[in-house]
Amino acid sequence: MLWLGVDVGGTFTDLVLYDAATGELSLAKTPSTPSDQSIGILAGIDRLAIDLARVAKFAHGTTIATNTTLERKGAKLAVVTTRGFRDVLIVGRGNRTQLYDIKAVRPPPLVQRSSIFEVDERTLHDGTIMAPLDRAETARLANTLAAGGYDAVAICFLHAYANEANERAARDILAQALPGAFIATSAGVLGEAREYERFATTALNAYVAPRMASYLGALKERLQERGYTRPVSIMTSNGGTLPADQIIRRPVGSMLSGPAAGVIGAVHVARQAGHADIITYDMGGTSTDCCLVRGHAFAMTNEGAVGGLPNRVPQIEISTVGAGGGSIASLGNSGFLSVGPESAGAVPGPACYGRGGNQPTVTDANMVLGRLAPAAPLGGEIALDPALARAAVEAIARPLDLDAIQMADGIVRLAVTRMTGTIKEISIMRGIDPRDFTLFAYGGAGPLHAAFIAEELGIRRVLIPPFPGNFSAFGLLVADARGDYSRTRLIATRDLGPALIEEIVGGLRHEARQTLADAGFADDAMRFEASLDMRFQGQAFELAVPLTEGRAGPSEIEAQFRRVYEERYAHAPDDASEVVCFRLAAYGLDAKPALPRQSQTGSLAGARMGKRQVAFAAKFETTEIYDRERLPLGQPLRGPALIEEAGTTTVVPPGFTLRADDLGNLVLECL
Amino acid sequence: MAAIDPITLEVVTEGLISVVREMRATVFRTARSVAIYDAKDFSCGLFDHQSQVVAQSEDIGSHVVPLPWSVRASLDAFAGDLAPGDVILMNDPYLGGTHLNDVTLIYPVFEGDRLVFFPAVREHWADVGGMVPGSMSGTAVDIYQEGIRIPPIKIVEGGRINKPAMDLMMANMRVPSERLGDFHSGLSACRTAERRIAELIRRYGIELLLECVARNLDRSEARMRAQIGRLPDGEAYYEDYLETFSERGLEPLLLPLRLTVQGEEMIADFTGVSPQVPVPVNSTLAVTAASVFITLKSVLDPKAALNHGSFRPVKVIAPKGTIVNVTHPAPAGSHGEIRKRVIAATLGCLAQMAPELVSADIHRTSFHNLIGGIHPKTGREYVHYEWSCGGNGAFLEADGPSTMAAIDWGDLNTAQASEILETRYPLFIEWSKMGTDSGGDGFRRGGLGLRRAIRLTAEHAQYSLLSDGAVVPPFGVLGGEAAAPVDSYIMRDGKKLAFATPGKVGGFAMQRDDVLILQSAGGGGYGEPLERPLAEVAEDVREGYVSSVQARAHYGAVIAEDGTADEPASLRLRRQQLADRVWLKAQSVDGDLYAAGKVSRRRVAPLNPADMTRLGVGAGALVDLIGPGAAPLRAWIVADDKVEPGTMPVDAMARRVLRVADGAPVRVRPIRLPEIS
Repeated sequence: MLWLGVDVGGTFTDLVLYDAATGELSLAKTPSTPSDQSIGILAGIDRLAIDLARVAKFAHGTTIATNTTLERKGAKLAVVTTRGFRDVLIVGRGNRTQLYDIKAVRPPPLVQRSSIFEVDERTLHDGTIMAPLDRAETARLANTLAAGGYDAVAICFLHAYANEANERAARDILAQALPGAFIATSAGVLGEAREYERFATTALNAYVAPRMASYLGALKERLQERGYTRPVSIMTSNGGTLPADQIIRRPVGSMLSGPAAGVIGAVHVARQAGHADIITYDMGGTSTDCCLVRGHAFAMTNEGAVGGLPNRVPQIEISTVGAGGGSIASLGNSGFLSVGPESAGAVPGPACYGRGGNQPTVTDANMVLGRLAPAAPLGGEIALDPALARAAVEAIARPLDLDAIQMADGIVRLAVTRMTGTIKEISIMRGIDPRDFTLFAYGGAGPLHAAFIAEELGIRRVLIPPFPGNFSAFGLLVADARGDYSRTRLIATRDLGPALIEEIVGGLRHEARQTLADAGFADDAMRFEASLDMRFQGQAFELAVPLTEGRAGPSEIEAQFRRVYEERYAHAPDDASEVVCFRLAAYGLDAKPALPRQSQTGSLAGARMGKRQVAFAAKFETTEIYDRERLPLGQPLRGPALIEEAGTTTVVPPGFTLRADDLGNLVLECL
Repeated sequence: MAAIDPITLEVVTEGLISVVREMRATVFRTARSVAIYDAKDFSCGLFDHQSQVVAQSEDIGSHVVPLPWSVRASLDAFAGDLAPGDVILMNDPYLGGTHLNDVTLIYPVFEGDRLVFFPAVREHWADVGGMVPGSMSGTAVDIYQEGIRIPPIKIVEGGRINKPAMDLMMANMRVPSERLGDFHSGLSACRTAERRIAELIRRYGIELLLECVARNLDRSEARMRAQIGRLPDGEAYYEDYLETFSERGLEPLLLPLRLTVQGEEMIADFTGVSPQVPVPVNSTLAVTAASVFITLKSVLDPKAALNHGSFRPVKVIAPKGTIVNVTHPAPAGSHGEIRKRVIAATLGCLAQMAPELVSADIHRTSFHNLIGGIHPKTGREYVHYEWSCGGNGAFLEADGPSTMAAIDWGDLNTAQASEILETRYPLFIEWSKMGTDSGGDGFRRGGLGLRRAIRLTAEHAQYSLLSDGAVVPPFGVLGGEAAAPVDSYIMRDGKKLAFATPGKVGGFAMQRDDVLILQSAGGGGYGEPLERPLAEVAEDVREGYVSSVQARAHYGAVIAEDGTADEPASLRLRRQQLADRVWLKAQSVDGDLYAAGKVSRRRVAPLNPADMTRLGVGAGALVDLIGPGAAPLRAWIVADDKVEPGTMPVDAMARRVLRVADGAPVRVRPIRLPEIS
C-alpha cells in the first residue's frame, strides 16, 4: 500500500511516497507548472515511477486558492446582500494600509459595486427575522444574474450568523435559476458576527471556488486515467485534510494548504524526537512561514488575510514574510539596503541560475559566501554559477564601498533579521521567550540560515528533519482529516447551562459527524474538540477556552476562562465574562507513517566529501563538507561545517555542534 | 564615534521599530475602550532623551507626531527629578497634548543613571468627563466643559501607583473601570518596551545604540532635505477656514499659511490666523506643527520609516492665542479639525509648487459623532463613538480612494461593524453606503464619503458632534471640483431636523425612532472634469459613484440608455459648458479683499449684480476663484455696483495664488453642491 503526498509550491512541486509495507520513503522534486499544476504533479509521479493503482491515499497541498486571489483570476462574482448594505464589501473597515502616503490606494475588492445586489430582508442580532426574504424580488434578481453570466454568487445577509433562514431561502431560489453557478451563503462559510469580515470571507470563497473546482476536477480525471480512484485529500489551513469534493464547496479554507502541511509534519517529527516546544521555520524560494508550537500544539487564528483581503476562516497561526532564497536584495535611493519582497521566482531565478536573472538574491549571497556548492544543484535541476552570483552582488556592493563578501554577508544577515522579526512576532510579541524553543527548520533554504536565526534569537537548539526540501509533502502524509464548525451566540457565562451547550455543540457535532461519515470515517475514528470563545464583558478579543464535554456548569467554565486569561495576559480583572462563539473541531483519524529508525554507523571521516572556503562573519575559513546520507549517528561534529544533501545544504557555523539523531534528524546545538 | 557598518544599522533600526510593534500588540489586546481595541485609536512611540521620535510602526500620525511636545513638556516639568520606576501621565493639550481624550503615558528608561529613552503611549479614552457622554461636544465654550485636564504628573513614583491622583482622575470620568483598564494596558506596553530596550543595550551597548539612533535621524533629515531641495525656492500662500456660527449665521475663521522654501529648508508661517474663540475649533501648536510634518512627509517622502530627522529642516511659526496655538482656557478639542485644515492649507501651498506631487483636499474633519445614554437592557451607561471617514483627494495618477482613513490617521479603522453596534447599543443601522456624487469631480475624481442612517431604539439618548467642514467643502485642484461637505441631521416622523450650527452639536436630545443621518465629506477632484474620459464617467455612473444628472452637469457627459456615453452629444455639451463659463477680468486693487467678522475675516469677491445674475448666485454665495495657479481660492460674493460688469477686483495675494496679472481672466465658479444620495 502506497501513500503519496504532493505539495505544489511557488517554485517547486515536491513529492513524498511512503510504502507502508516496507516503511520506505522516496522523494522527487520537479519545477512547478503554474498554468496547470497537474502537469508538474504527473512529471513527479513519472519520476518516481509510481503505479497509481497501488496508491491508497493521495494527499495534496495546493496554491490554487491563494494564487487565484493574488492574481485576481477568479470567478465572475455577484454578491446578494441585505438592502442598505451594498457597500459593506467596498468600504471594508475604512482603514489605510500605506501610512503617510498622499497617493495611497487600497487593494481593489473582488467584486465590482455594480455586481452587488440588494434584496429586502432583515434579521436582528438576536436572530429575530424582522423582514422575511422578498421572494418575488429575489426571483427577479435570479433572472438578472443568469442573464449576466455570473459563475459564482455570494449571499451575504446581515446577522445571518444568528439565523440563516433568509440566506437559505435566497440560496434555494438562486440555485434553481443558476444551475451551473457556485453559490455560497455567509452563514454557511463563517457563522460569525462582524459583517465585513464574514462577507469578505464568503466572497473570497465564491471567488476562488470555480477555479478550484475545475482544477480538482481535471486532476481527479488525470489521476483516474492512471488508476487512482479514491478521493484526493486536500490539506486545509487548519492542519487537517478534507476530501476534494468538500474543498470545492469551501475552498477558502485551503489558503494555507502547503504551509499547514509543513507544520503538521513538524509537530509529528518533533513528537517522535521528543521535542514538545518548537518554532517551525520553513524558508522556500519566495517566502518564509513560521509557526509556534507549544506542548505539541500550534495556535489557531481567525484573523488571516490574503492579498490584503481578510480571511476569517480558522487557520493555523502561521506568520509569513516575503523573504526566501529567491528574494532580491536592492539599494534604495539613499543607500538603504533591503531584501524582498520582490522575488526572482523560478524564472529567471537567482543570478547564479544563469537564466538571465541579474539581480542579487539571498541564494546568490550564500553562493558568494561559499555556502552553496556549484556542483550541488538546487532541486536537482539547476547547476549554479558562482561567477554570476558574485557579479550580481558586487553590483550593489560598490555604491556602499563594500566588497562582494561583505555585501553578501550583509544580505544574508538582513534576510535573517527579517525572518527573526517574523519569529519575534509570534513569540516575543506574545510574551513568549523563543529561547525556550527548538528551531525546526526546513524548506529548501531553511537549513542554510537556521543556525544564524537561532543565534540571533538566543535559541540554543536547531532541528533539521530528513528531506527538508520535501518536508511539507511529508506533512501531508501524517495529517488527519479535520473540519471546523462554529456558531456565534453572545451570552453571559452565568446564563450558560448544560442544556444550551448541548443544543449548540450537539448541533455542530451532528453536522460534523455527517461530514466525516461521508468521507468514509468510522465512528471510532472520529474525535471532537469543543471550545468556547470567551472574553470579559466589554472586551473585543476572545480567548479560546476548551470545553470539557459533559456537564460543565457556568462556574467551572468561568474558572477555566480565568485560568486561560491569566496565563495569556498575566492578570485577570474581577469582571463578568461572556461567551461569543461556540466552536467544534472534528477529526477523522488516519494511520501515519513514522520516520524509520536509523542505524547509520561509521565515522565522520567516512562521510567527508571534501573542503572549501566558506565565509563566516565575512571571513573565509576552511570548512569540511559532509554527505548527510553517510553521517554516523550521535557523533558530534563541530562547526564550521557544511552538510550537503539533495536539494539543500545545512550550515554549521563556528560555535555550533551537530549530531544526527536516530530518526535521521540533524540536531545543531549552540555551545 | 564608533564606526557602524550599514548592516548593523539596519538590524538595530528594525530592533527599535519592533519595540514599538510589541508595545502596540500589548495595548491592542488588553485595552478596554472600544475606540482602542476595535478601531485602534491609540499610538506608541519611542523617543530619545531630547524628545525626538526614534521609532514608530503602524501608529496614528495625529497622535505620534505631536508626542515630542508632550515628552518635552514632561521633561521640563520634572527636569532632573526623574528616577527609575517613575511614570508620567498627562493629557493637557496646552502642554503638547492633542485633545483631553488622548491620555498619554510617558515612561523614562534609564541606563544606569543616564536617562536614555522614553517609550510613550497615547490612547484615546472613550470618556474623560466633561459636559457630554464621550467628552467631545461641538458646543463647549471652554476647556472645563471638555473633561478633566491632567498636567504632567507622576502617576507612578518609584514603582508605586499614586493612588490619590488615580482616584481623583477616575472620579471625574464616565465608566471608570474601562479607563483603569486602559491605563494598565498602556503601563504594560511601556514596561515591555523597557525590557526590550535593556536587551538591546545588553547586546549592542548603549553607545552603539545611540549612535544608530543618531545616524537614522541624520539620514531621514538628509532625505527630507533632498526632497525639499527639489522644490523651487520661493513662497507659496494659501488660505482656508474653520467654521463658527453666530446669530448672523456662518462666521468663518481664516487660517492662512505662507510656505517658504529656501534651499533645503522650509518655513510654515501661520501669521494672520484667527484668534482663538470660545468654540471647539482651536488646537495646539503640537497639532499644528505635526500636521505640517505629516503633510510634507506624505507628499515628499512617503517611503522612509518615520522619525524626527524628517522634521528638522522645517520651521513652524504659529502665533500664541490663535486657533492654531491655543492657550488657556479656550476649548482645545478640535485637533481633528485644525489638523485637517492645516493639511489642506499645506496641500494648497504645495499644489502651487509641485502640482504633480499633491492630492486635492481630503475630508476636512475627524467627524466625531457620539451617541450616549443608558442602555435599556442593562441599565448601564454607554457611549457610541463613530468617526466615519470620508473620501481622499484625487491625484495625478488615480481617483481619490473613497471612505478611507486620511494620511494623519495611520491604520485606524473608521467603519464600524453594524452587527456589533446593534448588539452593543440600542441602535439600528438602517443603511450604510457610499454617498453617490459626494466625491469632487475632476479628470481624476475625488473619493466618496460614507452615509449612514442610525435609528435609536431606546427612549432617549444624547447626540453630540464635534466636526467642521459642514459649510466650506473640500477643494479640488487644477480645475477639479469641490466635494460634498460633512452633514448630519435627524429624521423625526419623516421630517428633517437640521441643526442650527451645522457640524457642531452638543447633547441633542434624541427620541425613540429618531434616525440620525451622517454624511462624511468627500475628497476634492484633480484636474478638469470636462477632460475625464467619457468611458470613465460612464463607468462611474454604472457603478453608482456618480449620478447621471451629475455626469451631465459636471462632466458634460450624456449617458445613454445602455449605460455608455453618447460621444457626439457629450462633446457638444462639453463645448457648450466651456463656452458658458464665466471669466471676469482681474482688476488689481491695493488693499486686501477681506470682510471683517467678529473675530476674524473672510475673502470676498465684490461683483457687479449683472455678473451675479450671469453666475446665478446671490450675495453671500461661496465661489471658487480659478486661475492658472493650481489651487482655487474660496470667496464669498458681495454685490457691488461700483464694480464694472465683466471685471472683478483682485488683491495682491489672490493674484499670486491664482497667478493672474492685472487684466487677465479669472474664472468664477459657484460651488453648487449636489443632493447626496
